[in-house]
Amino acid sequence: MTLPTHKDTRGGARSGAGRKKGSSVYGETTQAIRVPESMIPELKNLLQQRQQQSQQTRVSFETFQPDRDAPKTALPLFSGKVAAGFPSPADDYIEKTLDLNELLVQRPAATFFVRAEGESMLGAGIHPNDILVVDRSLEPVTGKIIICALNGELTVKRLKSERDVIVLGAENPAYPDIVVQDGMDMVIWGVVTNVIHSV
Amino acid sequence: MPAQPRIALVDCNNFYVSCERVFRPDLSIKPVAVLSNNDGCIVARSPEVKALGIKMGTPVYQISRLIKQHHITLFSSNYTLYADMSARVMTLLENFSPTLEVYSIDESFLDLTGICDKDPLAYGQNIRRTIAQNTGIPVCVGMGPTKTLAKLANYAAKKWPKTAGVVDLADAERRAKLMRQVPVKEIWGIGARLAQRLNTLNILTAWDLANQPVDRIQAQFNIVLARTVMELNGIACLMMDEVVADKQQIVCSRSFKRRLTEEDELAEALAEFCSRAAEKLRNQHSVTGAISVFIRTNPHNAQEPYYQRSASMILPQATQDTRLLVRAAKQLLKSLFKTGYRYQKCGVQLSDIRPATQPGQDDLFLYDDQNHTNNAAVLMDTVDQINRRFHKAITVAATGLGQRWQVSINNKSSRYTTEWSELAKVKCC
Repeated sequence: MTLPTHKDTRGGARSGAGRKKGSSVYGETTQAIRVPESMIPELKNLLQQRQQQSQQTRVSFETFQPDRDAPKTALPLFSGKVAAGFPSPADDYIEKTLDLNELLVQRPAATFFVRAEGESMLGAGIHPNDILVVDRSLEPVTGKIIICALNGELTVKRLKSERDVIVLGAENPAYPDIVVQDGMDMVIWGVVTNVIHSV
Repeated sequence: MPAQPRIALVDCNNFYVSCERVFRPDLSIKPVAVLSNNDGCIVARSPEVKALGIKMGTPVYQISRLIKQHHITLFSSNYTLYADMSARVMTLLENFSPTLEVYSIDESFLDLTGICDKDPLAYGQNIRRTIAQNTGIPVCVGMGPTKTLAKLANYAAKKWPKTAGVVDLADAERRAKLMRQVPVKEIWGIGARLAQRLNTLNILTAWDLANQPVDRIQAQFNIVLARTVMELNGIACLMMDEVVADKQQIVCSRSFKRRLTEEDELAEALAEFCSRAAEKLRNQHSVTGAISVFIRTNPHNAQEPYYQRSASMILPQATQDTRLLVRAAKQLLKSLFKTGYRYQKCGVQLSDIRPATQPGQDDLFLYDDQNHTNNAAVLMDTVDQINRRFHKAITVAATGLGQRWQVSINNKSSRYTTEWSELAKVKCC
C-alpha cells in the first residue's frame, strides 16, 4: 500500500490572506457580539474613546524613535540575580506597591478580623458594621480598646482602671461603664489595633 | 560532648472543639462535640462530653438521648476554620525551634536539642502561654530524648492536670516511673489489636514492653515494634519524616536546601507532595474532603523579609485522585504566591479523611445480628466493586444517609477567619 505523497492543497485558509492581526482602528483583534439596543449609544461612545486612545498611543509610540546618533554612555549592569544573594542596587529604583497588610497586620498568626455591632463605641470611631483588626499578641494595657468575652459574648470596650479596679468603659454617654468584680464572667480576648470603616 | 537530644511533641487539646470555642466564649465550659462529614459520628469532644463517657467515633443516633439531656452543642466539621487555626499554631511554633515537623493538623514535633537545657519545663510553659494568648488554643507539651518518649510525655501532660500541661522525660528514673503506670495500648503506634497480642504475652504496661529484648520482639513481631522498644529506652530510631499519616490527616511537607523563588518550582514540589499523600490515601483505602497548602520563607533569618501564607479548600467531592489534588493545590498556590520572596518550605495537608466507602453505609452493616453479617460482607464487597468501577456514583448515593437521625445539629459554624461575610460579630453595648 502506498501513501499519497502530495498534500491536499484545496480549501482551507491561505496563509497571508485577510486583514493583519491588530490592524483594526483599536490596534488589536476584534470580535462581533450581540448587545441590547438601549446600550448601543453608550458602547459606541466608549469604543470611540478607546479608538482615540489607541491612536494616541500609536502616535506616541511613533514619536519615540531611538536617537541613532546619541553619544554612548556606559551604564553599570544592575542584574537582579546576584549569586551571593545581596539585594540588587537596582531594587532601590523599583517603585514597590503598598500592601495594606503591612500597615494593619503586624502578626498574621495572632491577628483576627471581627465585625462591630451596636453604637456604644461611636466615640472611638467604631460604627455598626465596621471591621475591627484585633491583635491577640498585644498586652491589654489601660487605655487600649479591647475585645472581651463578657458573660459569654464578644464585646468591645475601652480598658480603664480606677484605684486598682478594672473598668470596662463605653465611648458613648448613653452606655454606662462596667466595673469588673470578682466572680464576674470576663476574659480579655484581644486588643483592637485598627478600625476599617467604609464611607 | 554533644548535647542530649530533646524532642518535643506539641499537641492541641480537643483541637476542633477548641477552634469552635475561640469564637464562642459562651461555650467555654459547656459540653461541645464536633461531628464527621454528613454529621455521622463524633470526631472531637470537649472534656465535659468525655466525662459523660461518650467515646470517639460514636454515631450520633446512638446518643441522641444524652445530647438532649445534657444540652450538648453539636457542630458539623468546619475544616476551613480548623486548617486556618492550625496554620496559625504551627507558624507560632516555628519561633521555638529551628526544626519543626508538622505531624497532623493539631500536633507537631519540635527539635529542642540544646535550646532549653537550663529549664525545659519553663520553656514548655512559654510555648503553652504563647499559643494560648495568640490563638486561644490550649496545647500540651511532651518532651523526651526520642519521638516515642515525647509522645508518651505528651500523653502524661494531657492525662494528669498536676503536670500543668508540660512533661519532660529526660531523666531515666522519671521515665521508668511513668512507664509503669501507662498501659501498653497508649504507646505511639500500638493499636488495639497489637495491644491485645502483647497482653497475652503478659506485656501490660509501657515498662513491660521497654524491658523486652529487642531481637526477640523483632523475631516475634516486626522491625517497627522493635524500634518502638529502642525508642522507649531513649535510642532514637525515628528520624524527622517527610510524609506522616495517621487516621485523620496526612501531612506532606519539606524544607528545601536551595531557596525557591518561582511559582513553578513550588508548584512542582506541591505536585510531588500531593501524589505521595494520595498514595497514602489509597494505601489506607481513604478519601479526603479538604486540602490545605502552605508556603513560607525562612523564619530564622532576620535579614530577609518573612512571608508565610496558607489556604485551604473543601473539595467538591471527597477523592483519592492525585490529579484532582494537584489541581486543587495549584489553585491554592496561585492565591498564596507572591514574587520577591525566597521560599524555604512548602507543604500539603489533607484533612476530613474518611473511608473510601462512606461511613454512612458502614452504619447499615454494623447490626449485631448474625443474619446480617453474612449479607453485610457480600454487600460490602459489592459496594467496593461498585466503588472501584463507578467511584462517584456510590458517594453521591450515600450523602443523604447521615440525615436520617433526627438530632438537632448546630450546623456548621462560620468561617470566621477566611470569609469577610462570616466574621465573628462583636457587640458594642
